[in-house]
Amino acid sequence: MGKAGAGTMTMTYERFEYLTDAYGGDLRRWPEAEREAARALRDADPRAAVLLREADGLDALLDAASRPAPSHALREAVIASAAGAGLGAGSKARRRGAIGPLAWLSGAGWAAAACAGVVFGVNLTSHLTADVQADAVLYQASLAGADDTEVLGG
Amino acid sequence: MAKTADPDEELVRRVGQGDPAAIQAMVARKLPRMLMLAQRMLGDATEAEDVAQEAMLRAWRQAPRWAPGQAKFDTWLHRVGLNLCYDRLRRRREIATEAPPDRPDEGPAPDRGLLAMETGARVEAALAKLPERQREAIVLCHYQELGNIEAAGLMNVSVEALESLLSRGRRALRTALADMAPEAVRAANG
Repeated sequence: MGKAGAGTMTMTYERFEYLTDAYGGDLRRWPEAEREAARALRDADPRAAVLLREADGLDALLDAASRPAPSHALREAVIASAAGAGLGAGSKARRRGAIGPLAWLSGAGWAAAACAGVVFGVNLTSHLTADVQADAVLYQASLAGADDTEVLGG
Repeated sequence: MAKTADPDEELVRRVGQGDPAAIQAMVARKLPRMLMLAQRMLGDATEAEDVAQEAMLRAWRQAPRWAPGQAKFDTWLHRVGLNLCYDRLRRRREIATEAPPDRPDEGPAPDRGLLAMETGARVEAALAKLPERQREAIVLCHYQELGNIEAAGLMNVSVEALESLLSRGRRALRTALADMAPEAVRAANG
């Protein structure tokens, strides 16, 4: 471990060797708190510089392993999965409970509108209770294939 | 717990709001890392793609409810990716196959030259032969470039134990690849 001394951290050769064995020849991969002391020892002790060069050889070998890059198909599949998970364009509107304008052009939308008209007519001719109105709303929801959030808001 | 500075925080917030540009940016930033992690851990391209895709799907689900300050998003995502890899490695052990498939000949090939692909294949084969925990330590610290504390946390070990795994792993790799000249490797790396 580095030792405090004269306001700076120092490192023993043994510690340097131990850390080189673990983290290799690139000091950027070393524990952040010990990098400065390691740089100082590397510059001061030729044996430390040799250790780093030797470790650098293995680092170069490790870097020779291929780095897989995502295929176009994989990227597209992942982006599509975001929509499947409820993200993507329009997700904010859906969360606010808004019904898109196209929904009103769909058959389900017309069915819901017709059903609302029936309910309105019934209201004119009879004393429809609040419970029945609630049932009608749920019925509209089932016709429109929408969830409660879309019909009732929230 | 102290608040953790997270370079991904703003991006995750935008992903959680369904911002398409943020989703694209997150894919560009994290998918290669997840693919690399899984490829190095599993040594199988198809399985690696499956793991990377599943990890990203979990990221999409997590983003809207992500609470900043508890952990870095990248660390969380690595945890997800590693767990998916562990599951697959466990299944492989349960099946108890004999020799791992698709391992290239590991003999030295001085007469064939050290072409980049051959070098890469040798290194990948040597990595695949490492004990699982040693490989994991090297993958997290060397390839994924995680800090030692972060890597040790992901592996549920102390920093000293992580360093021991790294040292043993690197020593085994040095032995396995001893015939390969570093200068030629640097040339292959370009």
